[in-house]
Amino acid sequence: MTQKTELQGAPSAMSAAEETWYSGTWIDRIPQPVSITVLGALMLGVWWLIYEIEFVSQVLLPGPVETFEELWDATTNILTGGHVAEGLWITTQEVIWGFLTAGILGFVLGVVVGETRLGRKAVMPYLVAFNALPKVAFAPVFVAWFGFGVNSKIVMAAFIAFFPVIVDTAAGLAAVDADTLMLFQSMESNRWQTLRKLKLPSALPFIFAGLKTAAVFSVVGAVVGEYLGGGHGLGELIRFSAQTLRIDRVFALIVYLGVIGIVLFGIVAWTERKLLYWHKSDLLEVEGKFTAGA
Amino acid sequence: MTESAEAVDRAGHESRPVNDEVVRITDLSKTFHKRGLKALDDVNVTLRHGTFTSVIGPSGCGKSTLLKIMAGLIPATSGEILLNGKPVTGPRQDIGIMFQQPTLLPWRTSLDNVLLPIEIRSGSAAAKAHSEDALKLLELVGLSGFDQVRPYELSGGMAQRVAICRMLVTGPAILLLDEPFGALDELTREYMNVELQRICRERDATSFMVTHAIPEAVFLADQVFVMSARPGRIATVVDVDLPRPRTLDMMTTPEFGALVRRVRGTLDMGIDGGGLV
Ligand SMILES: Nc1ncnc2c1ncn2[C@@H]1O[C@H](COP(=O)(O)OP(=O)(O)O)[C@@H](O)[C@H]1O
Ligand SMILES: [Mg+2]
Repeated sequence: MTQKTELQGAPSAMSAAEETWYSGTWIDRIPQPVSITVLGALMLGVWWLIYEIEFVSQVLLPGPVETFEELWDATTNILTGGHVAEGLWITTQEVIWGFLTAGILGFVLGVVVGETRLGRKAVMPYLVAFNALPKVAFAPVFVAWFGFGVNSKIVMAAFIAFFPVIVDTAAGLAAVDADTLMLFQSMESNRWQTLRKLKLPSALPFIFAGLKTAAVFSVVGAVVGEYLGGGHGLGELIRFSAQTLRIDRVFALIVYLGVIGIVLFGIVAWTERKLLYWHKSDLLEVEGKFTAGA
Repeated sequence: MTESAEAVDRAGHESRPVNDEVVRITDLSKTFHKRGLKALDDVNVTLRHGTFTSVIGPSGCGKSTLLKIMAGLIPATSGEILLNGKPVTGPRQDIGIMFQQPTLLPWRTSLDNVLLPIEIRSGSAAAKAHSEDALKLLELVGLSGFDQVRPYELSGGMAQRVAICRMLVTGPAILLLDEPFGALDELTREYMNVELQRICRERDATSFMVTHAIPEAVFLADQVFVMSARPGRIATVVDVDLPRPRTLDMMTTPEFGALVRRVRGTLDMGIDGGGLV
């Protein structure tokens, strides 16, 4: 009986602990919806002010109104299946194929690297070193190898997104708790059982951290590929708009690039929450711990 | 608390003739060659059926190493360990082990954690077939109704009780415990000591527990092995002939105090006696 109360008592004790004597200044007490709205309005206001006083040329920096008009145009274009819709679809495909390739390849090779002594001792240092390289610099190479079509963009996206997945997967497998490993040894668990029942599940938070980084990086990869390698994706539309000094259109198209990234990230994060129901508080700690920039 | 105290009183086994040997360790030594470190030297131990042995000693004297060798997890450099007459050459089903951390799998329910050793050794079907046994074990440790709960909802003491069930589920001949309650607060720890005594008596278990708390060592044990360091060896054996079942009240008696002083007196704490209560 005492245990029952112990169990139920825990959450209420937690929330009680949040009530402290210190309640912050009035700024800290503003409700989040209000503070977010006010801050957003403030940023738009500053933007509009800079535009109005022509701090920089209005050609180079469009105002918020012009940008929203352009965003509206882009949206109608997408909804009516115009060339923006085509670009969005092409880039989305590049991102998805790049992400899937990176995710599957990174996971499988990450398991191989993390599970073998040679992988941990010899391959891992190279991976970490490679991970620190500015990988976008390889874009012209991929364009030279795979041409101006979607393939070079997919390869570029996959290449950038691959590293966080393989590094985090291998690191996650290596981070397994030593005592629990000993427990499995004492149960005469074979290698496959230990991998399946202990190492992979406990590496999942790491793997998902890698996949979330990969979701963002694959958009970067696809766009860089398009900037340098042409094609008909959003990146090419942005490049062309910028060259003709239609910065408002550039901004509008970047919003749609962001949508691709956010949706993909959201899908991965949602899957993680479904799968890692047992993994509560440490979720944020692990995130992005082992991933360097693209 | 009252429930378990009653259970202890009720248990009151007749003191059985204890001659049957479960573990015999002869001339056991262990050297870690990489560091040229002699961790254990000439250890000789006999454990009889149904007895509880506590092992205490300064940090780094080889307690965990001894336990791991007994569990078949690491090889000895020389010497022999017999468990029920058969030499220990690797992990075995009749050896139960538990650590300072509960090492439960957080994605599994209590029940599935308890069944893990059976699932690993004999597959999921066999594990399923032992569900009843596992539920009875959870009841034994006072966790009935918690079988579908996951580890993050358990307190430290509750998690260790699940770990006890997991250790017991294969019906091991020897229980090896490495500072099992070292991470718990003092009150929970005392409570767990009473619980462990009750569980061991009910299961008629043979236990070998490493600890760094002298009162805990004395409270649970029939004999306390006091180890010394560099090289690790068993320096003294203190027999504890306090009547059973023991209660927390007994810890304030002069007899108990005298035993604690005796153990403390034989402990060579080296330069740093760190961590010894
Ligand atoms: N795998 C190992 N390799 C080398 N030295 C070890 C290893 N395991 C333990 N030791 C050393 O052996 C000695 C005894 O360790 P241990 O048995 O863990 O001590 P205790 O549990 O009594 O604190 C320590 O000096 C420790 O550093
Ligand atoms: Mg130890």
